[in-house]
Amino acid sequence: MQLATLKKVFGDNVALDIDAFTVNSGDVLGLVGNNGAGKTTLFRLVLDLLKPNTGEVTIKTEDAEYITSKTEDWKEFTGAHIDSGFLIDYLTPDEYFSFIGKVNNIPKEEIDEQLKRYADFMSGEVCGQNKLIRNLSAGNQQKVGIIAALLNQPSLLILDEPFNFLDPSSQIAMKYLLEDYNKQTGATIMVSSHNLTHTLDICTRVALLEHGHIIKDYSKADTDMIAEIEQYFEGNVHHEAITTEA
Amino acid sequence: MDFKHFRLLYKLISKNKKLSEKRHPMFERNRFMKIFTYCMVAFMACYFIFFGVVLGNAFLDGSIEACDMLNQGIVFLLIFDFWIRFGMQETPAQEVKPYKLMPIPTNAIVHIFLIKRGWNWYNVFFLFFFIPFGFITVAQMPYFGWMCFIGYMVGVWLLFVLNAYWYLIWRTLINQHIIYILVPIIFYAALIGLGMVATDWLFTGSMLFMRGFIDWNPLCFLAVLLCILVLYYVNLWLQKKFLYEEIAKTEKVKKVKSQEMSFLNRYGVIGEYLKLEIKSIARNNVVRKIFLSGLIITLIFCSITAFTPAYDGGFMHVFICVYCFAVYGIMTLTNIMGVEGNYIDGLMSRKESVLSLLKAKYYFYIAMLLIPTLSMIAPVSTGKYTIYELLGCLFFTPGCIFPCLFILAIFNNTTMNLTQKIQQKTTNSKAQFFVSMAAMFVPMGLMYVLVMLLGSMWGGLVMTALGLIGVVLHHVWMKAIYKQFMIRRYENMSSFRATRNA
Repeated sequence: MQLATLKKVFGDNVALDIDAFTVNSGDVLGLVGNNGAGKTTLFRLVLDLLKPNTGEVTIKTEDAEYITSKTEDWKEFTGAHIDSGFLIDYLTPDEYFSFIGKVNNIPKEEIDEQLKRYADFMSGEVCGQNKLIRNLSAGNQQKVGIIAALLNQPSLLILDEPFNFLDPSSQIAMKYLLEDYNKQTGATIMVSSHNLTHTLDICTRVALLEHGHIIKDYSKADTDMIAEIEQYFEGNVHHEAITTEA
Repeated sequence: MDFKHFRLLYKLISKNKKLSEKRHPMFERNRFMKIFTYCMVAFMACYFIFFGVVLGNAFLDGSIEACDMLNQGIVFLLIFDFWIRFGMQETPAQEVKPYKLMPIPTNAIVHIFLIKRGWNWYNVFFLFFFIPFGFITVAQMPYFGWMCFIGYMVGVWLLFVLNAYWYLIWRTLINQHIIYILVPIIFYAALIGLGMVATDWLFTGSMLFMRGFIDWNPLCFLAVLLCILVLYYVNLWLQKKFLYEEIAKTEKVKKVKSQEMSFLNRYGVIGEYLKLEIKSIARNNVVRKIFLSGLIITLIFCSITAFTPAYDGGFMHVFICVYCFAVYGIMTLTNIMGVEGNYIDGLMSRKESVLSLLKAKYYFYIAMLLIPTLSMIAPVSTGKYTIYELLGCLFFTPGCIFPCLFILAIFNNTTMNLTQKIQQKTTNSKAQFFVSMAAMFVPMGLMYVLVMLLGSMWGGLVMTALGLIGVVLHHVWMKAIYKQFMIRRYENMSSFRATRNA
């Protein structure tokens, strides 16, 4: 995936401004940054859910090249979950998974098989509960969204803050789930998170965003990646000011 | 808390309340809606003034004093006011929530919200009717004069304040359990029933009491003030009693049975979206209400047409025929995409899902035409309508009216709150307003002209032909709508997100 001169401005605020950035096939890319850094904006632009002021996102496969704002074909091999705006909340999770399966032409048996695979992650609180998605807890809604994004076995998976609302066990299960999925399918995964530990654990690359700019692009091979990122976030906290005010 | 702080708090809370109304996302994003609302309020005020003038003059010729004539029925106005408040006002217990954690005595906040309930513009709105009425029937009368007029207005205002507190008691109790709604229903039914049996008791009593205001009888004012005070303290007790229950209130989660609807599986992806449409109606309060009211209105009009001699000739004849077929579509499709705004990102991240959704909706609404078709068999068999007129409407609706309404899918960008119980903020936009008007009146005019010029047979057949063209070409116009929708997608998605949960 290539991002070229991608810029998004809301009023006077530059939410995202990236000259050039490439995500390679099979990368597990983590986006980290403080609130307002532009992580969600970047995902929305990639998914063509926002209009960029300039630039475009190009996805290349072995056979074709897609500019995301010009065609919809790339949606067939993409899975994403950003927030509850992705969920049809008056369905039960079972109905929703069945709906996703059918609109993606996935046989019912395959859907059932996949759901069995995610059973641990759902920890018995999602399927078969006969509850509407809107009546589930935020954590379980998050699980529904993540599983739905995975159902069509996408070769590009985009998850915004996937660890949010999840209990510690589910966060760890989520981590393994993404690692396994990447290993088994070779899919490209993009995740954003405020949870540095999990992000650094699973990602092969980490992009650090600040005020809409990618200020650093780390590879897992960089030995000082963790230390540098931690130092960056430490540097943003002004201990003295906080203690004085307190 | 001393009076100075109480007054400061009152001002702050009033300011917050004004801002919350002024900055409601629905209004902020829809200037037309804002202007439309103001116009509607102004229209209602003019309407009240008009009625005040008309009734004032009309009653002058009566056998009793004009103001007495109206005052006999004041109880009906108060009952009317009581019921329309349900669509507009929350309970203070609901409003107190954001202030609960602040270092302010809860008692003071509840008092402020209760005082605001009495000191509210809404309680003076009926004066738009009473001022012109009172001016004609009281102020201008030599034996009454201006002081009597002022007394009358103050009395009327106090009665509406009393009604506000009376309403609040029942609104609070109904919030606890819906069964309490039976109490005001039974109370008012009994009151009107008794009034009918012994007219002196209710109507003359009302008249004499209101005359007390005109005559500045201190006992009348004292009686109302005392009632207001009693109801105020009953409310205070109730609000404090239910405050914590209201704050901690959680909806009971109902278990639902997964519905397979396997008969729709044969239609593939479209079948899945059809299931979605049906489940949306079954499981969302707001959508269900619109569906049921559309259905009831259709059935009422069909029954009137079938079993009564009303609307037998002229334009009304055409109006009813078109209305029976088109009303359901107009009521529901004007808000097309409003439900889908809740999960627009999910739809837009899947290829052409909105196109499939629009097609499924179209087939669903065609299936719904079965209801008016069956209902219209009776008037056709009795000769009120010809079979050609019936066919004309049956095909013209999906072929020409529905495409016009589906165009709104391009422009509608306000998300509908699916779980709201009391009132949905109206989401009409300029496009919705004009398209629904056009969808209603253009076919009526067309059918009227065609039937006049060509007779009912050829008129009906021309409409059938026009409709058939639209139905046959539905894939073409649907794709054109989808193309335009995609051109406006960014603007719409942004607005859908902004109005979600508004």
